[in-house]
Amino acid sequence: MSTEKLLEVFIGPQHPTSGHMRFIAELDGDIIVDFIPDMGWVHRTIEKIAETKTYIQIIPLIERQAILDSANYNLGYILALEKLLDIEAPPRAQYLRTLICEINRIASHLYGIGIHGIMLGSSTAFMWAFGDREPFIDLMQMISGARLTYSYMIPGGIRRDIPHDFQDKAKKAIKFMRKKIKDYFDLFNYNPVTLNRLEGVGIIKKEDAIKLGLVGPNLRASGVYYDVRKAEPYAAYPEIDFEIAGRNEGDSLARLLIRFDEIQYSMNIIERVLDDMPSGPLLTNIYLTKLTGEKKELLKKGIVRFPTLFTALKTKEGECLARVESSRGEAIYHLISNGLLKPYRCRLITSSFRNVIAFKHALIGHKLADIPAVYGSLDYFPPEADR
Amino acid sequence: MMAEDLVIQLINELLVPLFRFLLQPYIFVPLIYPGLLVVIVVIIFILWLERKIAGKVQLRYGPLYVSKRFGGIIQLIADLLRYLFAEVLVPKGADRFIFIFGPVLLFTSALLPLSTIPVGPNYAAITSELSLLISLSLLTIPPMFVLAMSWASNNKFSFIGGLREGYLMMAYEISLFLSILPMVILFKSLSFIEIIEGQTALWGIVLNPLAAIAFFITMLYATSKYPYEIAEADTEVVCGPYTEYSGILYGLSMGYAYIKTYALSLIFALIFLGGWNPILWPASLPPIWFGYSIPSDILLPGLMVFIKALIVMAFSVFLRTVYPRYRIDQAIKIGWHNLFTLSIVSVIISVLIVMLKSVI
Repeated sequence: MSTEKLLEVFIGPQHPTSGHMRFIAELDGDIIVDFIPDMGWVHRTIEKIAETKTYIQIIPLIERQAILDSANYNLGYILALEKLLDIEAPPRAQYLRTLICEINRIASHLYGIGIHGIMLGSSTAFMWAFGDREPFIDLMQMISGARLTYSYMIPGGIRRDIPHDFQDKAKKAIKFMRKKIKDYFDLFNYNPVTLNRLEGVGIIKKEDAIKLGLVGPNLRASGVYYDVRKAEPYAAYPEIDFEIAGRNEGDSLARLLIRFDEIQYSMNIIERVLDDMPSGPLLTNIYLTKLTGEKKELLKKGIVRFPTLFTALKTKEGECLARVESSRGEAIYHLISNGLLKPYRCRLITSSFRNVIAFKHALIGHKLADIPAVYGSLDYFPPEADR
Repeated sequence: MMAEDLVIQLINELLVPLFRFLLQPYIFVPLIYPGLLVVIVVIIFILWLERKIAGKVQLRYGPLYVSKRFGGIIQLIADLLRYLFAEVLVPKGADRFIFIFGPVLLFTSALLPLSTIPVGPNYAAITSELSLLISLSLLTIPPMFVLAMSWASNNKFSFIGGLREGYLMMAYEISLFLSILPMVILFKSLSFIEIIEGQTALWGIVLNPLAAIAFFITMLYATSKYPYEIAEADTEVVCGPYTEYSGILYGLSMGYAYIKTYALSLIFALIFLGGWNPILWPASLPPIWFGYSIPSDILLPGLMVFIKALIVMAFSVFLRTVYPRYRIDQAIKIGWHNLFTLSIVSVIISVLIVMLKSVI
């Protein structure tokens, strides 16, 4: 009887909003009775491929699980690898890592905000957010030469120093973004229609957020002020004074606004990093001494060429765990090495993978039209979850 | 000599009857202005304008590739051609007859209200006492074909989209009729021409701004413009009732919304923006052909109304850049609560104005 009343709607994978995944929604009229996020459509076996590559070859592979957020995912792997190798990057490299991670966080959040905008029907928010990503992507291009996949961090350091005119460009971009954020609030965030669509929709209470194991901005929007950058500081975060964003409402609006908060805090971090940047080597001393000839000359220009030793990088036997706060939340890397050229196992737990459960919790009892509103607010990125 | 005679004979025997035929109001109005010919030009222009305005707000160019020198204005002709030559796919489970004829009937029925719209004070196809009522009644026909199309598509998203269209229709239809009632009460007529004659001194929008606002919002509902672009919400129901459509059939159903916008904008211009008022030209300017003064009977009043309607249309498409879309239940609630109340209040205001007039 009851099953006949329900309408089963398959949303995706060929649906304007679904992204690389499928949702199965059971509707009673317009109300969602059951909601199943069916993931795995873009599974690329990154973990398995990693077992067939050397430690250096894994760097460009591993950041492709979330190309919007490649710096953070790059860093997580490098931190795990450095633990295995028993090395640590010099202070300047640590600061530059923090810098690039925060720039990447801004670009990634703007992407999420833009997608949220178009999901609600605001094409202006979408276009603005994607346009405003450009200054930050340009900054990344200035540092690393790539727009999205930087492969910037290497074991023991980084690949390149910042150019001399970088500071001015970065400060200009930050100034521009601070001015522009006001426009977003006027046109999109506090638009009466947006407020109607998002306020009180998809509420995840504090206890539920903890129970579901959510991470990142979605967790912090529910009132749990947990951030790996504070809980287990890495790179230059222990030396920098910064705030983490938090809100208590736990609804879609809070999750949208928290991304704007994080953009502002990230800009503060970038400014502090640029002001306090220590001078010094870009690569740890063990590898620096191995650089000879032309590579040594290039090092003076701030270009790090890989020491020959990287082609056959071996780690000690053992396993280690590293955590980073990527822009969508905590990412965990578990590396197991048996002392050979390739890792025995490279286990990744990405933030979107942990957030996907929130769909099932947040959407039940809401309307069909709330699916894009909640989806966008969770900033869920299917390739990141599928790996 | 022979050649000149031939030309004169040709003009006399071919062009004169043709012009005489075309200039008859009941041919000219549905076929040329404000009917079919101008409709196609308007659709092409307004779609271009919509994309250009959106581009301006969103800090990008908008259409530019086709005819770069003129700002990409014929981009829509290219799009139209693409729609025309794309293959029309009919899904397996669809009701073929309704599926194919739905959009055709939709497009044609959307053109019907235009034939009731007068071009000038002395030039109209339908000079009925009830022309305003007729045009609004004709406007309520096409949504039925949308419902039929959504049902015939045999697709869940089409089905949901069609239901949404039906619910929205319920929410705005009463307010649509209620929001023209104030004007009818003020000018004591249901005829376009008499209502426009009543607006020589003060326009309807000045006399009763609430009614104008209510009508404009119902217009956004009726033509599925943001923030009420709900039936076709692409992020929710793919393309609503038109999900399964492709090629020219989709082109026709997309054109329908714009014809409706155009028709409602014309009605807005006529009953709220004074129609062809103020009349800035002498009564009968030459050339006078077949009993009609072309400039002062057709061209100038027609142009006046057309420009006003275009401004209304441009504003309604501009809202796309400002608003996201409402949820369906919110839109229905706004329709029944706020819009209905607003139109009732505007009726009361009109009644008060009329009572005040009679007292004075």
